Amino acid sequence: MRLPRDPLSVLGAICLAALVLIGLLGPWLPLGDPTAIGAGPRLGWPSLDHPMGLDELGRAFLPRVVDGIGATFLLSGAAVLITAVLGTILGMAAGYLGGLADDLVARGADVLFAFPALLLGLLVAAVMGPGAVSAVAVISAATLPLFIRVVRSVTLGVAGRGFVVTAEVAGASAWRVMLVHILPNVLGAAVVQLTYALSIGMIIESALSFLGLGVQPPDASLGSLLRQGSPYLTIAPHMVIGAGLVLSLAIMSVNLVGDAIRDALEPLRGRPLT
Amino acid sequence: MIHRTSLIAAAVAGFVAAPVLAADDTMVWGKPAEITGFDVHVVGTVASWEMFQMVYETLLTTDEDMALQPGLAESWEQVSPTEYRLTIRDGAAFSNGRAVTTDDVIGSFERITDPETASYWSRQFGDIASLEATGEREVTVTLARPHTAFLPALAHISAAVIPAQEWRAGEFDPASQLMGSGPYMVVEHNQDESWTLEANPHYRGEDLPKASRLEVPIIPDESARIAALRDGRIDFTTFENPDVSLLLGRDETIAIDPIRTTNYYRVDVNALGEETPFADERVRRAMSLATDRDAINNAVFGGTTAVDYPVPRAFGTGACEDSESYAGTREERLEKARALLEEAGNTAPQVQLMASSANPTLGRIAQVMQQSLAEAGFEVEIEQVPTAEYLQRVFTDGDFDFSLSWLAGYTDPSMVIAWWNPQFAVWNTVFHEYDEDLATALEDVKQLPAGEERQAKLKEICGMMDRQANILALTSKVDYLVSRTDKIEVIADEVSGSSNTYRHIAEFESLD
Amino acid sequence: MRLALHLLPRVGTAILTLFGVAVLVFLSLRLIPGGYADIMLGPFATPESRAAVAARYGLDQPVAVQFLRWLQAMASGDFGISMVTQRPVIDEFLRRAPVTLQLASMALGVAVVVGAPLGAASGVRAAGRGGAGRLVGALGASVPDFVLGSILIFVFSINDLWFRVGGYTPFLEDPVANLRTMTLPVLTLAVFGMALILRTTREATLRVMTEGHITAAVARGDAPRDIVRAHVLRNAAIPVVTVAATYFGFLMGGAVVVEVLYSIPGVGLFIFNGLMNRDYAIVQTGVLLAAVVFVAVNMLADAAYAVIDPRVGTRRA
Repeated sequence: MRLPRDPLSVLGAICLAALVLIGLLGPWLPLGDPTAIGAGPRLGWPSLDHPMGLDELGRAFLPRVVDGIGATFLLSGAAVLITAVLGTILGMAAGYLGGLADDLVARGADVLFAFPALLLGLLVAAVMGPGAVSAVAVISAATLPLFIRVVRSVTLGVAGRGFVVTAEVAGASAWRVMLVHILPNVLGAAVVQLTYALSIGMIIESALSFLGLGVQPPDASLGSLLRQGSPYLTIAPHMVIGAGLVLSLAIMSVNLVGDAIRDALEPLRGRPLT
Repeated sequence: MIHRTSLIAAAVAGFVAAPVLAADDTMVWGKPAEITGFDVHVVGTVASWEMFQMVYETLLTTDEDMALQPGLAESWEQVSPTEYRLTIRDGAAFSNGRAVTTDDVIGSFERITDPETASYWSRQFGDIASLEATGEREVTVTLARPHTAFLPALAHISAAVIPAQEWRAGEFDPASQLMGSGPYMVVEHNQDESWTLEANPHYRGEDLPKASRLEVPIIPDESARIAALRDGRIDFTTFENPDVSLLLGRDETIAIDPIRTTNYYRVDVNALGEETPFADERVRRAMSLATDRDAINNAVFGGTTAVDYPVPRAFGTGACEDSESYAGTREERLEKARALLEEAGNTAPQVQLMASSANPTLGRIAQVMQQSLAEAGFEVEIEQVPTAEYLQRVFTDGDFDFSLSWLAGYTDPSMVIAWWNPQFAVWNTVFHEYDEDLATALEDVKQLPAGEERQAKLKEICGMMDRQANILALTSKVDYLVSRTDKIEVIADEVSGSSNTYRHIAEFESLD
Repeated sequence: MRLALHLLPRVGTAILTLFGVAVLVFLSLRLIPGGYADIMLGPFATPESRAAVAARYGLDQPVAVQFLRWLQAMASGDFGISMVTQRPVIDEFLRRAPVTLQLASMALGVAVVVGAPLGAASGVRAAGRGGAGRLVGALGASVPDFVLGSILIFVFSINDLWFRVGGYTPFLEDPVANLRTMTLPVLTLAVFGMALILRTTREATLRVMTEGHITAAVARGDAPRDIVRAHVLRNAAIPVVTVAATYFGFLMGGAVVVEVLYSIPGVGLFIFNGLMNRDYAIVQTGVLLAAVVFVAVNMLADAAYAVIDPRVGTRRA
């Protein structure tokens, strides 16, 4: 497996690593207190003291953005991990075991898929109340159907292959076959889907926070910072611009890295026509 | 049975349906929220009152000095402590042309006080013993006991006069229609989208209302409302966000009229919950002492409002100014707070502060409170939930520690504090303690006419409310009427007591 | 005929899926805290008035009973009334559907017209990685629609640049006014779709390019344009159709955020407000309608596959 070396992929990987690092180390970096109200003038513009300006309660915006990066990655990451584990198990079971398992899983995935995504998110958030846990649940619910479908379809493709049949003939149990033989082949596609799910997850999380149903103050996620800042777009655009840029950068780097992984796992040896 | 084909045809016709073209004297009002129900006697939300006030009228109104002014009643007389005579003016008529009669007034009272209607406003009238038409245009109301706030209670839109005759005949359903004697009548309503109102041809004002047509698009998003003002799509609107002057101040064609109200932001504290630290009165008082109202004013409102008390400062009584939670310096109050927590054996109470996510201002207040209370040892977690959940958890389930909202101060000092007796208010029985002495004092003050005795009683009540710390007042709530000066001429009261921002709507004049 | 046989089992699953959606939305609505009585009456409601409102709308019945009643009503064309206005919700939906339809079709159109050619060109020209196409695709998929929307609103409301925010005029009545207000929201929505379609087209094209018969054609010396036309487009079409269908379904489900931002009186905003108001009939009907559209669009896509690729339909589903 050859990792791509082209400029875009490298840039994406560096950005992603940097953002994740910042998000993880954030609380320990000497950037200021994200919750100290009145640290400066309300809605203050960026300055040397406060590189990203201040918000409507006079809190320094930079440490809040750093907090936000951590929160956004943590929430989306956790959700996508849940999706990956659940989706892989369910998808493999559906594809390999077939029959009733397949019907249940496939229909269930269809139902979730046919549900308008944002409305599904709103309903889940409404049932579970706002907060980090429900944000994770929403992202999982929204990204699960596609993940299951992909895993299922790859499993279907692998199930008839020689080595699987051999294992079955040798008396291996269904679970053993799935774990030892099918899973390794599904992993590639799963990892690719994972990265796309992550970027979708980050968008969903920020949309939910934007509509007021996400992390609770004074905690911040990039989406909730956008919600905070958008009424003041005309007089203090630094909040929307700051949070918006960082969010877009984060999503983009995830996408670029996802592309790179996909290219590495399924190299395309084509020749240009011209 | 609905005919589907005709509806589909209508949908297709939607492509060709004509929207309203702005006529010469059409005003456009950007309404921040859709009404939550049609029944003027039942619905208790400002978003609905705003619309009701265009269509319905009340017997009395209040002016900038909180004084009573004629509405549908052109004059009134308090014949005895329990008897009032109201004279209905000549020339007032509903939009269907029929004149407003004593029967309509009496019918409206009856509907409001009918337990089946379940109107929350009926209790504010006191205890009505009898209603009688004692003249061609005269109604006499007799109460079982004196109730000073009876007349002011008639000035709130929830006491609107409806066409009783049509209601009884089944031709008019207040739960799904609006029909009144006010300056405008409803011509079209597209849910969540817009209303179209036209002048009531039978309105009692001469040459009023000045604008013959009122377009009302519904624009909940603040930034969208700002954009609509800027590009001229709407002529006027209201904002709660105190930063609106920052946001629109530089625009020369936009005028911002702040309207001070008797309304204030409040904290509801759960005194009856089983698991909340606030069940202990000392913890509640500590929280009240540790609340930094000045910080709220500065951080959230940029200093544009003022600290407020359970008896609203707009009334000018100053009754609550010396209460423990307000007197002395912040350090002194924090000391007392910490001492109380020590005494209560809970020096680091863990509590959750709830607020409806529909109002960003509440979220900001919550964050300031979180920090101020931390100085006394409180560990506060903030919960911003959707309105429906907030309403259920606070007022039905009692599943909360403390929460933020606001209270309407109405038009008499004794009206809003009446809520401190849960047996009277009913809506707060789930979290408010009943205190016999306070309840008695509240009843007493309702019967005292304005004067020294009343003032003393108010002070006494302030002390009791402060000690009980079950509902706290924070800062005054200011409404901002914002308009395009090149497109419309608005008239706004500087002070308003009845949540009636558009009291002078009939005199608004379109300039384009 | 083959087409019909191919689609028939799909119809069965579609019905099952829709039933699942109905159950899911119905149950989850009843699990949400707070009800219409709370919203309508506000905080000063007495327990009696709440109970009266609940009884009036049949909300005090057991959930199963309510569900059956709802199914029954729908079977006879009654989709319930809005508790705020007391009027049938289906009327509102039919009134708003054209707006969302216009938004969705225009966004899809822009996304396909811009994204597909760019993606195909990018894939054909540089059968490898990198390239401007990939960057544009990544960018477009990274800016959330509400960020883009907020910025567009900001720019266009500060400066008078002809486009307007908010307000809607039906197209057939005044096309110019209609486009004035619809262009910005369409653009906001289309950016993500364009990126999506660009990337999908690019990958599909790349994939096709590596297949045997392409290299054979190159070796044979066929002109690039003919190769593209004869082989690439046809084979790359399927994943693109899939993505386009999914995207359209998502748009018809109500691009809620964009409708909120731009105050567009579409279906999404209506459902969102219905959810906030606990106006159950609106949410139930809305979600079901969106699901129907989504399922229908996917079946159309399935039919399209069968037409595009004759091999489809002979494989196990």
